Amino acid sequence: MSVEETIRQAMAPFANNPIPEDPHASLFELGVIDSFGLMDLLNALEEALGVHVPDADLVPKRFETISKIADYFESNGKPKS
Amino acid sequence: MPMISVAGFGHHVPEGVLSNAALEAEFGLEPGWIPSVSGILRRRCISEGETILDLAHAAAQGALADAGMEADRLGAILVGTGTPPRQFPGLSADLQQRLGVQNIPAFDIHLASVGGLFAMGVAVDLCPRYGPVLVVGAEVMSAVMARPPRVKETAILFGDGAGACVVGPGPGKFEVVDVRLRSDSTLASELRLDFAAPLSMNGRAVILQANRKLQGVILELLSGNGLGVADVERFLFHQANLNLLKQVGQSLKIPEERVFVNLQDYGNTSAASVLIAASESLRRAPLRPGAHVVLAAFGAGMSWGGLLLRAGGSR
Repeated sequence: MSVEETIRQAMAPFANNPIPEDPHASLFELGVIDSFGLMDLLNALEEALGVHVPDADLVPKRFETISKIADYFESNGKPKS
Repeated sequence: MPMISVAGFGHHVPEGVLSNAALEAEFGLEPGWIPSVSGILRRRCISEGETILDLAHAAAQGALADAGMEADRLGAILVGTGTPPRQFPGLSADLQQRLGVQNIPAFDIHLASVGGLFAMGVAVDLCPRYGPVLVVGAEVMSAVMARPPRVKETAILFGDGAGACVVGPGPGKFEVVDVRLRSDSTLASELRLDFAAPLSMNGRAVILQANRKLQGVILELLSGNGLGVADVERFLFHQANLNLLKQVGQSLKIPEERVFVNLQDYGNTSAASVLIAASESLRRAPLRPGAHVVLAAFGAGMSWGGLLLRAGGSR
């Protein structure tokens, strides 16, 4: 399963609105994920992808779209200690 | 650490009530939206002629009475507030004057929502040298919320109030087992209040950080003292948002009934909230001797911290 597919699957339980097909659409502006759902989503992705998101990276704009989330976990994540 | 205890708690909230209905009308909100995003049903606000000093003084008197102590025995006064009456002198100076206790150190701690908890933590270190420390967290958030432009995201959250406690050397009602205070300025700009400006808060960033930091400091406090979540009878958190309290509680597997919540009645009273929560909770339902209680808060800086207390008395 691709990282994007993993993200879409992990997001489903926390999504307040339909998850957009466009990976570049803002999840915040579409009301898909709120502050609390974002925290739950990141926890789920940390578990699913074995990547720890350090506190300094917990900035919403990094996770505003599916594309950005995928980029983060593919490129910027560090192995979970 | 020498034995340090909290001798008593007190709190005071103004009579004025700002209802959800009033805010729904002002911002055109659907009934039920405010509780769904915050858990808040109403908040208290000062009336004309009422001041932050009135709130702070009433809470201080309550804490002194609960401690069975006269103000002239105090060795220091610390006030956590993000809404002082002026840039300086601080609210602590006004309170010192009203209490009539001069020639002891009195100062403010400006860390918004974590100011009251930081003041408690600093008091723990001050009291062996100076004697009993009066700690007050007081806020008039309604004055900040009145600054234009009013936006629903913050206007619905905040209320006015004050909480207080007396921290002193030796045994008392609640022994201070441990204190952890932390600041990380990397994301400080996400929560700020500039002079005469409206509150600037990136809610998503604050929630993400608060959630992670609160869990971390609680686990650090407990593991550092050979305890687990199940060993704590009550958790007293900064009353920021019900959804945040639930998320932290669920992540740490804290039984819901052990997390005290009063934000439905007072809203987020910033620096005052954890002290109001402690005062109200511990008076409403006293703890058995030996029971542990955790206080934890998150605020500007960004700063966060926790205190581990143990109820005094015979086991």
